[in-house]
Amino acid sequence: MTTETKHSDGPLDARTVIGFYHVDLQYKDQKALSNVHFSIDNGEFLCLTGPSGAGKSSILRLIAMDAFPTKGEVMVRGMMSSKMNRRNIPKLRREIGFVFQDFRLLSDRSIEDNIAFAQLVVGVPRVQIIKNVMRVLTQVGLYSKRHRKPHELSGGEQQRVAIARAMVNSPKILLADEPTGNLDPVTAQEIIDLLFRINDAGTCVVFSTHDHQIVKTFGQRVIVVNNGRIESDVKRRGPVDRSANLADNMYGGTKSQNTANSSVAYVRRQETTHA
Amino acid sequence: MLNRAQTAYLFRESFAGFHRRKLTTGVTILIMASALLVLAILTLITFNMGYMLEKARQGIDMRVFLKTELSDERIAELQPRLIVIPGVKDVTWISPESALAEFRANLGEDAGILDMLDENPLPASYHLTLTAGARDLKSVRALRDEIAAWDEVSEILFNQSWINALEQWTFRFQMASLIAGLIVFIAAVFVISNTVKLTMASSARVIQIQKLVGATNSFIRTPYLAEGMIQGFLAGAVAMGLLAATGWLFGDRLGGIIFFSPAQIAGFILFCVTLGLVGSWSAMRKYLTMQSEI
Repeated sequence: MTTETKHSDGPLDARTVIGFYHVDLQYKDQKALSNVHFSIDNGEFLCLTGPSGAGKSSILRLIAMDAFPTKGEVMVRGMMSSKMNRRNIPKLRREIGFVFQDFRLLSDRSIEDNIAFAQLVVGVPRVQIIKNVMRVLTQVGLYSKRHRKPHELSGGEQQRVAIARAMVNSPKILLADEPTGNLDPVTAQEIIDLLFRINDAGTCVVFSTHDHQIVKTFGQRVIVVNNGRIESDVKRRGPVDRSANLADNMYGGTKSQNTANSSVAYVRRQETTHA
Repeated sequence: MLNRAQTAYLFRESFAGFHRRKLTTGVTILIMASALLVLAILTLITFNMGYMLEKARQGIDMRVFLKTELSDERIAELQPRLIVIPGVKDVTWISPESALAEFRANLGEDAGILDMLDENPLPASYHLTLTAGARDLKSVRALRDEIAAWDEVSEILFNQSWINALEQWTFRFQMASLIAGLIVFIAAVFVISNTVKLTMASSARVIQIQKLVGATNSFIRTPYLAEGMIQGFLAGAVAMGLLAATGWLFGDRLGGIIFFSPAQIAGFILFCVTLGLVGSWSAMRKYLTMQSEI
């Protein structure tokens, strides 16, 4: 059973920043997605979850236009996958920030250069690059370590550098593919907090994870993908409590009001699924 | 368009490969230089053979024998008519007497048999030398046909077999050097392309990240193409240097060999740069069309 919650009315809705319209994706020998249909509004925080190989990464690839639908249409920031010229893909990528499980930093350059590189590519003037790099590094709290190489930093710090790089061009969309996958719960929470702050500033965040704890604790809107199909799409009503503590949750620490809240959300998802 | 920071980056990055991969780059340049050295030697041999063939061609000439009953005036009238024919460079009058003397000289010890003759049997003739453009079989034949139609002319001789042999040799040699050149050229492109592929395999991550942050293909490509061109330049310079050093060491024993002119050296190095560019380009093409596997 597929349940869909409508958030916006289609490609013409001005709020829609990402739209999937009955998308099928076929790789050479296997079907990755079938009839995926949803849209994401401007400034939304979306949790994309489901077991490994369910199609989460495929959805992210379609958003980045690193893959194109076999059937249906993907719209990102007004650009349609069916009308996309390959030459315009770099333009689209500049409006999207990427964060990965494995950080993907250039190991032979300082973290400052890693971030500056994203600006250089876009053609930002030198003076502006220096200012922007300083700004984002301060935001992620790593300005004092700007001359270090990635391998001299901890995993969480490296992920913060990756986030700083993703944000330096002020993208409208941030795609985070299992960004906490390699991190311990405390560090993971730091990263999630950072993503929330980015979302608060107006960037649409698509957060992919197979970690149920994270989904239960933080899911504002949760799309569950399984076997290439959307199993459920649930939006939690009311403000999301972002002070929940992931570590407490995972280590069975103090049960706060916050975790109770997320349990409510979890139950509601189940209800919708069975509706 | 690129801004100043981008230009500076691309410039730095073009040379960064030499610093990051000293050994690979060094070996590539040496391998390329050896291939190019072979190519340069081949070209030099072609040049020298061509020069020798051209020298030999200067010996292509024509002898126009005249009918014996002609008066001296009519013979004299022919000279200006011959000299204006296109392809004729020089016209020399050879009197029956000087022809006989020449014949006598050629016979050497057997010259005595000529004393048995009552009168000089040799006719008067004109010796024609030809311009460079007319020294091939086709032109020489056309020239012969034209002059043979004249009433005053009894016979025309030219060294047909010599021209034939020369032309065949020139053709064979050109084919041989073309094929060898082609093989060396393909080998050189292959070597460069392969090295760039190795470089790219090690830079796969960098390229992936470049694509991720929205770098255009041409922005990603530029430093690699520049690196290929610099490698081509260095390899060409090394090859030329080796060739010049060999020439300098053994020059007196090789004797009379013509070396490349400065313009030809510049052309050769330009060719090597192009080779580097083509090699890098072909390696990049495959790489950039691959998906970035986000």
